[in-house]
Amino acid sequence: MTATALSRSAGNPPSPGERFGKHVLFTCAALSALLGAAVIVVVALETVRFFGQVSPARFFGGLTWTPLAEEPGFGVLPLVAGTAQIAAGATLLALPVGLLTAVFLRYYASGRTASVLNAVVTLLACIPAVVYGYFALNYVTPAIRSVWPGVEGFNGISACLVVGLMILPTIVLLSREALGAVPNSLLEEGVALGATRRRVLVRLVVPAAAIGIAGSVVMAAARAVGETMIVTLAAGNPTGPTWNPLEGVRTLTTFLAQASLGDIPAGSIEYGACFAVAAVLFLLTCGMHAAGGALMARGQRGNPGAARS
Amino acid sequence: MSESRRAGAGVAIRGPIGAMGVAAALVTMAALILLTGVLLVEAREVLDWRFFLDPPSRVAAEGGVGPALAGSLWLTLLVAAIAVPLGVGTAVYLAEYAPPTRLVKAVESVLTNLAGVPSVVYGIAGLALFVRGLGLGPSILAGALTLTALTVPLVVVNCRKALRAVPDEFRWAAFGLGASRWQVVRDQVLPAAAPDIVAGCCAALLRAVGAAAPLLMLGAVSFTTFAPDSPNDPLTALPTQIFAWAARPQEGFLALAAGASVALLLLMAAMHLVLFAHRRRQRGTSA
Repeated sequence: MTATALSRSAGNPPSPGERFGKHVLFTCAALSALLGAAVIVVVALETVRFFGQVSPARFFGGLTWTPLAEEPGFGVLPLVAGTAQIAAGATLLALPVGLLTAVFLRYYASGRTASVLNAVVTLLACIPAVVYGYFALNYVTPAIRSVWPGVEGFNGISACLVVGLMILPTIVLLSREALGAVPNSLLEEGVALGATRRRVLVRLVVPAAAIGIAGSVVMAAARAVGETMIVTLAAGNPTGPTWNPLEGVRTLTTFLAQASLGDIPAGSIEYGACFAVAAVLFLLTCGMHAAGGALMARGQRGNPGAARS
Repeated sequence: MSESRRAGAGVAIRGPIGAMGVAAALVTMAALILLTGVLLVEAREVLDWRFFLDPPSRVAAEGGVGPALAGSLWLTLLVAAIAVPLGVGTAVYLAEYAPPTRLVKAVESVLTNLAGVPSVVYGIAGLALFVRGLGLGPSILAGALTLTALTVPLVVVNCRKALRAVPDEFRWAAFGLGASRWQVVRDQVLPAAAPDIVAGCCAALLRAVGAAAPLLMLGAVSFTTFAPDSPNDPLTALPTQIFAWAARPQEGFLALAAGASVALLLLMAAMHLVLFAHRRRQRGTSA
């Protein structure tokens, strides 16, 4: 990084054509920054306008979310709770499978197996969310109901399972990156000292990568928080708040998707509510993304030291 | 004790961790096989040439994905034409040209964080910015611009990673031989990073093509009788078409949703083939 910074003044003086090329690149960067800023500013502005109509205390403190009722409730907490329920469930389901797959890929799979498994994980990551949603509603839910008839047609379990499947590649690929930062010598030294491979993996290697793995989990959970189509299709949108995973779940994202199906007049209070919910979603996922990224970076940096000690 | 025989990679599966790893890998593979298998079995009765050309219909058996497929093709082309040059240019500027000022660092961190924002947020922002702000209405163009906003941060992040992976020695050596910065970027850095840049752009485009939530927020239609033939036509695309069909409980629409999913996956596979063709050509020229 510093080397690149030092070299900024290096090189021959640019010709007019090269200066033009630099201007083109600068324009690209400026436009990208502008586009990103426009997204942030428009969400922020509409949210501020919404807070002119509904006080932030009512929004963050209220316990009912019924924007279309005669006496509308604009408490966002039930939506946040639904989101947390889905994200936590999905992450808990995906973590063991994802971490074990990553360990398997890094320490057990041989060339051929590893490349097939890699391709499978990459393909899973490519499948669009709406296809997963279709699968959840029409195959996973009936399968769950056939063994457990008490489950409703729209339910949180099916959503958790399939969102878990969707974030699985994130956990596998990022955890493998975290494990990759652990030097191979750690495993070799441990085994040379007479410990079993399993013991070295469980006691030394995975703990050494723990911070990076935690980062990968936070990144995956952030994706689960933002997941819209699977949750909308599989968990539906019951009218009241619910804590029962056997019933439908209402999340920040399903509210947005359901609101878009009806026609919301611009400037109305429901329109503002959509932006306020989007702002919450934005801050939540941004925060998690940044935290996950920081953890992963710390895992990468910390690892040579962790291996020495 | 037998499990400690060899420490390197590529050993036989021994011990409980290995067994659990195999089990986890099998679960992952089974999920993919189940998913694609179910799609193909469910879609087998609707998949024929007519299906890819006909408009959707109230009668399930007569429905097709013609307009949605055309819409997705439009979106792919427009997003590829706008977001890829914009994102790659931004990444190159940030990595190779930008002075390390506070503003540049802020732009970088904003773009990095935007890459983690869920697509539905771009949808609602696009609704205010493009559909209503610029008065584009729920058109293909509004959809393409919204997907561009979603794709650019991903392209920038992926390309930054690719450019960072090019060793500084490449740059130093070229500078030492008297190359200008532009020559260094064009002749050394970009060729070295090209495979990763193409792969990164492809991954970002695949995400954009499969995104349903933002288009839903913009007001995409799922029952249009004609295929869009200009960017000003009403927004329709495969992901939102799948959503509309998947949520209908009536018999017959499930097969349509599966068929549309297969069409979407085929479109994505075709994009992958373009990537592979590019890679092969590159290998050909560099050899």
